[in-house]
Amino acid sequence: MCAIAAPEVFGSDEIGNAKVLITGEIPAALHAKVRRAESNCPERAITIIE
Amino acid sequence: MTDTQKPVKDMTTDYDIFDPEFVKNPYSGYTEIRESQCPIAHTERYEGSWLPTRYEDVVAIAQEFETFTSRQILVMPPVEGRSEGAYAGVAAPPITSDPPDHHWHRRLILPVFSPQSVAKYEQGTRDLCNALIDEFIDKGTADAAADYAQHIPVRVIATMLGVPLEMEPEFTEWVRGVLENMTDKEARIKAFMNIVQFFMGQIEDRKKNPRENDLITELMNAEVEGKKVPIEYVLGVCQLMLVAGIDTTWSAIGSCMWHMAQHPEHRKQLRENPDLWPTAIEELLRVYAPVTMARIVDHDIEFQGCPMKAGDRVLMAFPAANRDPRQFENPDEVILDRENNRHVAFGSGIHRCAGSNLARLEVRVALQTWLDRIPEFELVDQSTVTWVGGQVHGPRKCMVKF
Ligand code: HEM
Repeated sequence: MCAIAAPEVFGSDEIGNAKVLITGEIPAALHAKVRRAESNCPERAITIIE
Repeated sequence: MTDTQKPVKDMTTDYDIFDPEFVKNPYSGYTEIRESQCPIAHTERYEGSWLPTRYEDVVAIAQEFETFTSRQILVMPPVEGRSEGAYAGVAAPPITSDPPDHHWHRRLILPVFSPQSVAKYEQGTRDLCNALIDEFIDKGTADAAADYAQHIPVRVIATMLGVPLEMEPEFTEWVRGVLENMTDKEARIKAFMNIVQFFMGQIEDRKKNPRENDLITELMNAEVEGKKVPIEYVLGVCQLMLVAGIDTTWSAIGSCMWHMAQHPEHRKQLRENPDLWPTAIEELLRVYAPVTMARIVDHDIEFQGCPMKAGDRVLMAFPAANRDPRQFENPDEVILDRENNRHVAFGSGIHRCAGSNLARLEVRVALQTWLDRIPEFELVDQSTVTWVGGQVHGPRKCMVKF
C-alpha cells in the first residue's frame, strides 16, 4: 500500500518485502504522499519523525 | 435439526455464520455484536467458536501468533479423523504454518507476488476481461458474478501455476466445495481430495517431462539451505494457490460489481478522476472484505474477559473489523478517496495475504475494463442476487442490465 501511495519513497526488495528507497529527509513535495502512506499502512510500520 | 436450521436466539451467544440472512448481509449482525456488552461473541454451533468484531481485538489476535495459532484456519472444524493439517491431511503452507517454519514457507513464494512480478499479468488479465465482455455485451444483460467475476482469478492462477486452462470448471467446483459448501462435510473431503490428486498428478508429470517457467516447476526446484524443498511443501502451496487465490478474489470483484451497479455517482467519480483508482480499490476492499480466517487457541487464556481454552476456534472477522466506527469514520459508507484506511481485508501480522498485489491488480483491471466498455448499468432485481458467506463472502448470481 505504501508503494501505491508514495512510490517515490517506498518500494519492495527482491523478495517482495517493503523497503524505503530514499535516505535522509523526505523532500517537502512528497510530504502529503508519505502521510497518506502512513495513514493507510495496516501494519503501522511507518512512523513520521518531524 | 442441524446447527444451520435452528433459529438464532442471541447474536452474542448463539451466532450462526451460515444463517441465510447473515450470509446475505453479515454487517448488521457484526454491528449488533460489536456494540453490545460482549464484542467478542461465542457460539456453541459447529463445535463452538469465538467471534471478535472490534478492529483492535481482531488485529491483536492476528498479531499474537503464539497464542492464536494457524494449525487450522478454516471457520469450520475439520472432518473427523482428519484433524492434522487444514486440508484432509495435507497442510497448506504458509497459511497453516506457524513459526519458525512459516518464515521460509512464506519467503519462498513472496517473490512471485511482488508488485513487479505481478505486473506482467496485467495485460493478460485485461485481455481476458475483454474477451468475457465480448460474450455478452450485445445481449444488454449479464450475470456480473457468474459470467464475469467468476472466470477471472481462476484463469490467472491457472496461468501462473502452468495447469490446463480448460480445467477451469473443475478448479472452480473444487474450490467452491472447500470454501462455500462448508456444512457439507462429505463434499468438502471430496473437493480436497480432487485438488490434492490433481496436483500430485501435475508434479509427477513434471518429474517425467520437465518444464520451464511455471510456478509448480519453480517450487519443485526450489532449495532451502542447500536442500530441495519437500514435495509435501510443493503440494501444499499449489493447493493453497487454488484455494486462496480464486474464490477470494472473485468474491471481491463480484461485490465491487454489485456496488458499482447501484452507484452511478461512484462510476462517474472514477471516470472523471482516474487517479482515484488505487484508493478506491482499497476502500472497496475495506467495505466488502470477503475473507474470514480462523485461529486455534494454544493454551488457556483470558482474552478481553473471555475465558478461551486451549483448542478453541477463534474466527477473525476481518469484514467486521473493517467496519468498526472506532477505527473508520462512517464505516458503512463507501468513500472512494478515504484518507485513513488501515483496513485488514488482507489480514494482519505474519500471515498477511501474500497475494495481495495480485488480488489488487485483478480487482482493478476487472472493474476498469468493465467500466470502460459498459459505463452505465444497473441491477436487474436486488432480490435475485444470491450470496455465499462463512469463510468467503460474495455474490454468486448478480444479474445486471445495460
Ligand atoms: C481480494 C482477494 C483476497 C483476499 C481478500 C485475501 C485475503 C487473505 C487473508 C485475510 C489472508 C490472511 C490469512 C490469515 O491470517 O490466516 C490471506 C493469506 C494468504 N493469501 Fe490471500 N486474499 C486474496 C487473494 C489472494 C490471491 C490472489 C492469492 C494468490 C494466489 C492469495 C494468497 C494468499 C496466501 C499464500 C496467503 C498466506 C500467507 C501466509 O500465511 O503467510 N490471496 N489472504
